[in-house]
Amino acid sequence: MASITFDRITKRYPDGTQAVSELDLAIRDGEFLVLVGPSGCGKTTALRMAAGLEEISEGRLLIGDRVVNEVHPSQRDIAMVFQSYALYPHMSVRENIAFPLQCAGLAKAEVRERVDRAADALGLTELLERRPKALSGGQRQRVAMGRAIVRQPQAFLMDEPLSNLDAKLRGQMRAEIRNLQREYRTTTLYVTHDQVEAMTMGDRIAVLRKGVLQQLGTPEELYESPANLFVAEFIGSPPMNVLSATVTRAGSGSELLLGSQRLVLPAGALDAYPELAGADATPVALGLRPEALRDAAGADPSWPRLLADVELVENLPPEKLVHLRLDAEPVVTEATLELAADVDQAAAEDLRALGRGSVLHARLPGTTPVREGTRAQFAVPPSALHFFDLSTGQAIAPQSPRLAAATA
Amino acid sequence: MFRYTKATALREVLVWAFALLTLLPFYFLVINALKPDEELLTTGSSTPPSRPTVENFTEVLTATGDSNILLGLLHSAVITVGSIAGLVAFGSLAAYVLARTTARWGSVAFYLFLVAIVLPTQLGLIPLYIGARQLGLVGSLWGMIVLYVGTLMPLAVFLYAGFFRNLPRDYEEAAALDGAGPARVFFRVVLPLMAPATGTVAILAGLIVWNDFFSALIFLGGSDNQTLPVSMYYYVGSLVSAWNKIFAIVLISMVPILAFYLFAQKRFIQGFAGGIK
Repeated sequence: MASITFDRITKRYPDGTQAVSELDLAIRDGEFLVLVGPSGCGKTTALRMAAGLEEISEGRLLIGDRVVNEVHPSQRDIAMVFQSYALYPHMSVRENIAFPLQCAGLAKAEVRERVDRAADALGLTELLERRPKALSGGQRQRVAMGRAIVRQPQAFLMDEPLSNLDAKLRGQMRAEIRNLQREYRTTTLYVTHDQVEAMTMGDRIAVLRKGVLQQLGTPEELYESPANLFVAEFIGSPPMNVLSATVTRAGSGSELLLGSQRLVLPAGALDAYPELAGADATPVALGLRPEALRDAAGADPSWPRLLADVELVENLPPEKLVHLRLDAEPVVTEATLELAADVDQAAAEDLRALGRGSVLHARLPGTTPVREGTRAQFAVPPSALHFFDLSTGQAIAPQSPRLAAATA
Repeated sequence: MFRYTKATALREVLVWAFALLTLLPFYFLVINALKPDEELLTTGSSTPPSRPTVENFTEVLTATGDSNILLGLLHSAVITVGSIAGLVAFGSLAAYVLARTTARWGSVAFYLFLVAIVLPTQLGLIPLYIGARQLGLVGSLWGMIVLYVGTLMPLAVFLYAGFFRNLPRDYEEAAALDGAGPARVFFRVVLPLMAPATGTVAILAGLIVWNDFFSALIFLGGSDNQTLPVSMYYYVGSLVSAWNKIFAIVLISMVPILAFYLFAQKRFIQGFAGGIK
């Protein structure tokens, strides 16, 4: 077991495109770190540099204490699971799993024993004599895992290993991979574009955009205090609602101007944000997680109230997913456009053309009485407000640990 | 259930007629190979023998000296197998490097190989002969194998390179990460996946070598190491040719090829049709 360290690593292709820029990232010994980002963000390139399949343009890569920039993949003592699995089609499952051990020059008896043990751990014993072609997707995935664990390498590298499986199997394999990793406590670098996979599997998550590290933290940290709009909108499903708003001083407290509405913040709600509390008429990007919109009935009366038109109610017991329309301007930045375009190009066009008003998503308990076509009132706990600089997209971070000042 | 309609019936008749037409040379081959000497000049070549005999076969099979057919068969086999082995070994390695290198000389070298396919072999035969004689390779089986491996190398490289280019790099990368050095990656992972390419090279090159008369005559004629087509040539005289004997030898020379084809058919057809999955 060993740590993997990216020390200011840059990857530049001959045509000048920079896939990864000065990446600083340390995967601790035994840690499961997920590298996540939209397609083309450089995550796979970073992984391939760790594997030794891609040359490093600048910076140092360390496995343990050893600089491995110039070390051949076969000498790095790491195992990789490919998106395509890359099982050798001409070998049986047994031969596939045994291959790394044969390369290491182990004795036949030992190879046999270790393959049997790995196969047993993965439930592959019955399939050992089959060829990969005769296996299902999930079984192939397991064989690829078997080939990785059998050698007990310093680290696992995984390149979107679950993307070829159907949704149900993916959930199951997610748990299996996590369990295996816990059992072997092998340092793992896992690449995916799926934020759900990242959130459920990673000890820590590194979010990458256009080759630049955006934020590194635990799933909770990323969710609770995203470093910028990109991370805020990338992490979470449905994503965070982001609206243009203005923070204004009003009497002893502050107010939020949101479209035609005024949200009165309870006294002290912005204490943690000296930049906002003191200033007058500061434009910000306001971030609201879907679960930050609560049913106004029975909510703390000091919480600001928000009126919105209920456009659509999706029943998803035990929850309701409610689409709301508000006359506030949406925030359209390069980052939001890129995220939308990653889903599909038309979605990005839609976002541009949305014009006046924005659509909000609210996640409410299934018992909440909301009806489509009505105007409803929602309460927003002040502690759930996220503020971002409108021009840079960087989070305006609270000074002291996020205090639940107003949430009684 | 298949039912004949007018159209399908007509199509089938046409197909049968065409099949029979292509079998016509084979008919001439068989009837003339079974003809005794005295009928050879008295009957037409399309008339079957009134008294079929196998004495042509026994005669050519028992002949000695320059016209020793069994020895010719053995030499042909040794040269063919040796050439295929050499072409597979060197051709696959050369093509692998050319298909995978990103260096500029790679594509230059590849196009040079392509040029060599287009140029006729005969063009280089005289300098080749002089070179081979100086190296003491004329008249030896070794020399012939070297010659064929050299002249057919462009074909092998061209065929292999096409297959290699379609091979996903994932397998090689996976093998490297599994701890395999370049040699192991190639021989344990890449080459076994190239079985369809190897089959194609073996069949195409094998047929060319087996059937080759011209270079074999030039390089081996008069030596103790003649191949079957060269030995057969002794039955072609300037005044009279023993066509019944020659046809018997042709039939004999077809036997190993047909046997090989029947044996390998299933595998190779699979390889050609299936490719790599």
